[in-house]
Amino acid sequence: MAVVKVDKLARSVVEGPSLMTGSIPTKPWMEIPVKFKPGNYAYTTKPDILKYLDSQQGVSFPNAREWNPEDDDWKLPENWKEIIINGLADRLDRFRSLKIFMDCCVRCGACADKCHFFLGTGDPKNMPVLRAELLRSVYRNDFTLAGKLLGKMAGAREMTVGVLKEWFMYAYQCTECRRCSVFCPYGIDTAEITMMLRELLHLVGCGINWAMEPVANSNRTGNHMGLTPQAFKGNIDFLCEDIENLTGVKVNPTFNRKGAEILFITPSADVFAEPGLFTCMGYLLLFEAIGLDYTWSTYASEGGNFGLFTSNEMMKKLNGKMYAEAKRLGVKWILGGECGHMWRVVHQYMNTMNGPADFLEVPRSPITGTVFENAKATKMVHISEFTADLIKNGKITLDKSRNSHVKATWHDSCNTARAMGLLEEPRYILDHVVDQWWEMPENTIREKTFCCGSGTALNTDEIMELRMRAGLPRANAVRYVHEKHGVNHLGCVCAIDRATLTTLMNYWVPEVTVCGLSELVGNALVIEGEQRQELDEGLRTLV
Amino acid sequence: MNLIETLKSKRKQILSTWVDRTLDSYVSSGFFKRSRDKFANPVGVNIREGLSSLFDLLLSKAPREEYLAPLDQVIRIRAVQEFTPAQAVAPILELKWVVRQVLSADKNTRHLLSELDSFDCDIDRAALAAFDMYTACREQLYENRIRELKSGSYILTDSGCPSSLARRGIQDKPPVH
Repeated sequence: MAVVKVDKLARSVVEGPSLMTGSIPTKPWMEIPVKFKPGNYAYTTKPDILKYLDSQQGVSFPNAREWNPEDDDWKLPENWKEIIINGLADRLDRFRSLKIFMDCCVRCGACADKCHFFLGTGDPKNMPVLRAELLRSVYRNDFTLAGKLLGKMAGAREMTVGVLKEWFMYAYQCTECRRCSVFCPYGIDTAEITMMLRELLHLVGCGINWAMEPVANSNRTGNHMGLTPQAFKGNIDFLCEDIENLTGVKVNPTFNRKGAEILFITPSADVFAEPGLFTCMGYLLLFEAIGLDYTWSTYASEGGNFGLFTSNEMMKKLNGKMYAEAKRLGVKWILGGECGHMWRVVHQYMNTMNGPADFLEVPRSPITGTVFENAKATKMVHISEFTADLIKNGKITLDKSRNSHVKATWHDSCNTARAMGLLEEPRYILDHVVDQWWEMPENTIREKTFCCGSGTALNTDEIMELRMRAGLPRANAVRYVHEKHGVNHLGCVCAIDRATLTTLMNYWVPEVTVCGLSELVGNALVIEGEQRQELDEGLRTLV
Repeated sequence: MNLIETLKSKRKQILSTWVDRTLDSYVSSGFFKRSRDKFANPVGVNIREGLSSLFDLLLSKAPREEYLAPLDQVIRIRAVQEFTPAQAVAPILELKWVVRQVLSADKNTRHLLSELDSFDCDIDRAALAAFDMYTACREQLYENRIRELKSGSYILTDSGCPSSLARRGIQDKPPVH
């Protein structure tokens, strides 16, 4: 390597062209190959995980092997191209939405600057339209007359290893948050295009471990972490001890209890990891305060469904487990905790995949009598809907001063906001549990909310830089309310958010703590007979 | 007009060139340059704001501590993007080139080119602060990685968790990491 003398270097700085050269594209996007390097891709699925999953009923995950995205040779099966093209044909046939999404985009560009990955990277292939074009170009080539006749002129291109690598890069730089879809005049759901890309990649054994290991664990023991029933129950018992120490309230949850009125399902992260633990303590206190007849299940011990990020069949299987358990226990309906994608699966896919859940009843709050007509099909009610109804009917006592350490803002989690329209209930609850909270700017909340940058199984540490740049639009809005109003808490209703926004805040706005909504409810809840200590930091106070 | 007054009078031109060159380091920079909505365009607007404040502080001979906030606005972003360390901090040094371009383009200000030494030194100081900041940001990233590893799933799935032990028993070999 040539040694550059300091004086020469200095001259080059003041006289020469930019040091930052190389980024302005000189070639059309199709001709720019992807380059994998540490930090820009998630680790690939461990072969033993994939082999295990492939051995399971109802799902197929072939071609398990050790491979590295940085290598030229991905050790693809010999007939990989045939597998991909046949896989695409099969999906075009099965999913009418995919066929429409492939055909109807007019490339108006409305989505282009709405993706947090694009906004954080400036990489044109992160514009939703171009990310979809990665698949559309192959679709045109093999499935449309114009593409077959005109080839490149019609935006078509042949499926090559380079294209496959591009798919792997960009299908895992999309969190399926669906912000772009809000702005698409045709309502193209780019998340579903990413889902298809990921499914096709799985056909040739290309996936990421952070998605597949939780999926394998959920399939085996019921939750992402592979916790056994004993460990799951043990963790909740431990939380009950903490609650008693903090509040003097003795909480006695039940597990796998047949005949309970309600089955409660939440992400397992609520049970084993901070800051979800505090949210879980909030649930436990709330249910105790109202005397709810409910049970936990150590088998349906996971609300999260990484199948959504993997394949249709896997999503169906993991979702089915919740309903199978509800049937086995003979409950009337299901109450769901603070989870993001569980709710997308329930609201958008459950009924056609595993419904109708006609063995359950239309949910009716045993405390207020409210019938949740909105959950007529799924028989599953969100904890925020349930809590807001309790507050509205005056069934719980809340003391806002117990959250006096909190100056909150509200992060609408992508899946609950955009996939199920849960916008008002959390805000109504916040109004009743904290003295003051502030909205972030209009184009960063509600349906237009920005993703945490780490959804769809991208919450793994090896892509920390990618996560930080993808989360910048969210963090940037939080920083604004922190600087303007002194906001110090970021509330949300999603387990992935709670974990990943914590890391995001550590990097961008370290003064802000991330908390679950039920944690704030638990902090403020006044329970008869309690002997609450002075809890300066609510349920997080160390005593 | 002396140098500082001249630079103040050419502020708009200098900043426009400087910000554009910096944003040109992104592959698709049109939107970053165009949109002035801070929340729709966090990279473009933060870099624009940060460089503008930094320029004003350099002209007012502000102490180093005052540079830190605007520098942070620029460097914290570039530290997590796909730049080499040099590319991440290069925009600060590039101000030298931009100022020379602007001054030499005007025959009335060309004579000031020989008076830039002190201003260059101030830019160097800011660039060195940027380098410190870049390093601190990178360290913070690694700390965050460690924190996640320590607090998260690894411990539960791969150490004492009974199901993990059971799995090892079944496969008769430890999981590969």
